[in-house]
Amino acid sequence: MKIIKGQSLLVDVIIWALLIATALLILSPIVFMFTASLMPARDIVKMPYRWIPEELYLDNYAQAIRGNDGSYIYPRNILNSFIVAGLVSVTTVLLSALTGYGLAKFPFKGRNLVFLLIMATMMIPFEAIMIPLYLVATSLNIQNTYIGLILPFLTNAFGIFLMRQYLITFPDEILDAARIDGSGELSIFWRIILPNSAPAVATLAILTFRSQWDNLLWPLLISQSEEMKTIPLYIVKFAMEKHTNEGAMMAAASIASIPILILFITLSKYFVSGASLYSSRKG
Amino acid sequence: MRRILKKGIEHKKARWGWFFVLPSMAFFAVFSFYPIVNALYTSLFRKRLLSLRPPTFIGLENYEYLLKSPDFWNSIKATFIFTLGTFIPILVFSLLLAAFIMSRKRFQKFFQMAFYSPAVLSSVVAAAIWLLILDPRGLANMGANFLLGTKGVDYKWLASANMVRFSTILVYFWKYIGYFTIIYITGLASIPQSLHEAAKIDGASGWKDFWHITIPLLKPTTVLVSIMSMLQCLKTFSTQYLFTQSGAPLEPINVITLNIYNTAIRDHNIGRASAMSIILFIIMLFFTWLQFKASRSGGEVDYM
Repeated sequence: MKIIKGQSLLVDVIIWALLIATALLILSPIVFMFTASLMPARDIVKMPYRWIPEELYLDNYAQAIRGNDGSYIYPRNILNSFIVAGLVSVTTVLLSALTGYGLAKFPFKGRNLVFLLIMATMMIPFEAIMIPLYLVATSLNIQNTYIGLILPFLTNAFGIFLMRQYLITFPDEILDAARIDGSGELSIFWRIILPNSAPAVATLAILTFRSQWDNLLWPLLISQSEEMKTIPLYIVKFAMEKHTNEGAMMAAASIASIPILILFITLSKYFVSGASLYSSRKG
Repeated sequence: MRRILKKGIEHKKARWGWFFVLPSMAFFAVFSFYPIVNALYTSLFRKRLLSLRPPTFIGLENYEYLLKSPDFWNSIKATFIFTLGTFIPILVFSLLLAAFIMSRKRFQKFFQMAFYSPAVLSSVVAAAIWLLILDPRGLANMGANFLLGTKGVDYKWLASANMVRFSTILVYFWKYIGYFTIIYITGLASIPQSLHEAAKIDGASGWKDFWHITIPLLKPTTVLVSIMSMLQCLKTFSTQYLFTQSGAPLEPINVITLNIYNTAIRDHNIGRASAMSIILFIIMLFFTWLQFKASRSGGEVDYM
């Protein structure tokens, strides 16, 4: 599709050059992270910067995992991030699919009001309710636990919206046929609806995983012990230290980024469809 | 007989409908609606974290205090400088990049992926990378010295007030430009090809087509991108938090969310933090309302 018609070869070349230069500029900080993670600290600040490390200096990774005095427990923090992001993805998918299905396929009095109320929660920013949530967590005595880390994110309005939009076009005949065959409603949901929403489920699971992997604010409020910290808190700890080893900091950042970049490269279409979904939000 | 049967089925369906939506409704009641009401309630009290004294009702005193507090107005100012400084460049450049990408016959996918990749990284990781790049000995000074033809000048990316503001904007711009580029690409792809062809037959040049056909038809996407990026910017926290934690000056980048966090957790002043939360909520509600209004009044585009 042509939006700007290549009027001449010159325009064409300029556009290619601009795109390539922008791509290089945008990617360079990521490349910097990985290369710096493989350099001794003194080489990181040596100008001109060597974009290809001379040797692989793996001490940074050892230091990122153990810390200078061997007291860091990065593997535990990584495990925590996997546990929290994984569990939140599962609950978000299940609850959103359940609710989205109910809203899409079951007419009941007040359905529109329910949908409207759920959509209204999109307007309540987490940042505005974090303090009351924190007080709730303290009164339930679940600060510094996995339950506490997960509870405020069990589902979200975007996920419900996504599942509802996806399921609204699901053929009713299939559902009715299953009912006539004597399937219960829950088994229809489990055996027919969930498997048939794979693209929406995958998109939602991946977006949820990514956003939990990124979550700083909530763990900052309720993870108190080192054992309950997640990756973002660990990186903050690195950055806060006065004489931090830059190479080790980038090694920690690289470790934090590798799982999510692998997801992105292998499943990029779900990331992209997740982003473009917003533009069809009106539907 | 048949009607009764049908009614029975409808009744049953309605019951299942409620059954399916109830868990989420209960969740939202406890974790969305209750906290915002609670924040509103708490904002009317003098309440301290960890204090054994019962909170005292003080009416609107917290709000009065905030509206007179230079520190709070500084946060409003910091938030708006950041928001305007970020979302306007994002709007312009994501549209341009999307148009450039769509004008290529090859490598569209590659460029989309490359531009989008920073958005998948954690914001803390992004801030940590830039912390090193913006270091006095880092790449940013080297690049700036090279581009501006200076030698050995330290541009104080993380030290001077205006530069640290610019740096947080730079990080955000870098992180989200690709995300909004993809949204614009979706918008561009939804414009029927026949319109561009008609313009071509009428003798419109590439740029004329872009200005008079593409941009007006993209209005819904533009409204969406502006509001989304604006709301995103109003909630910014991680970059500012990490920068100030590692020694950057607080005042120029003390955005509202950071101020709420510090007021509640560092100063233990829950009442005042709640009042700030409510003000943030109202600001964001206003912009969401603006979105509805903008998308109603001619935001919808009819292609026919």
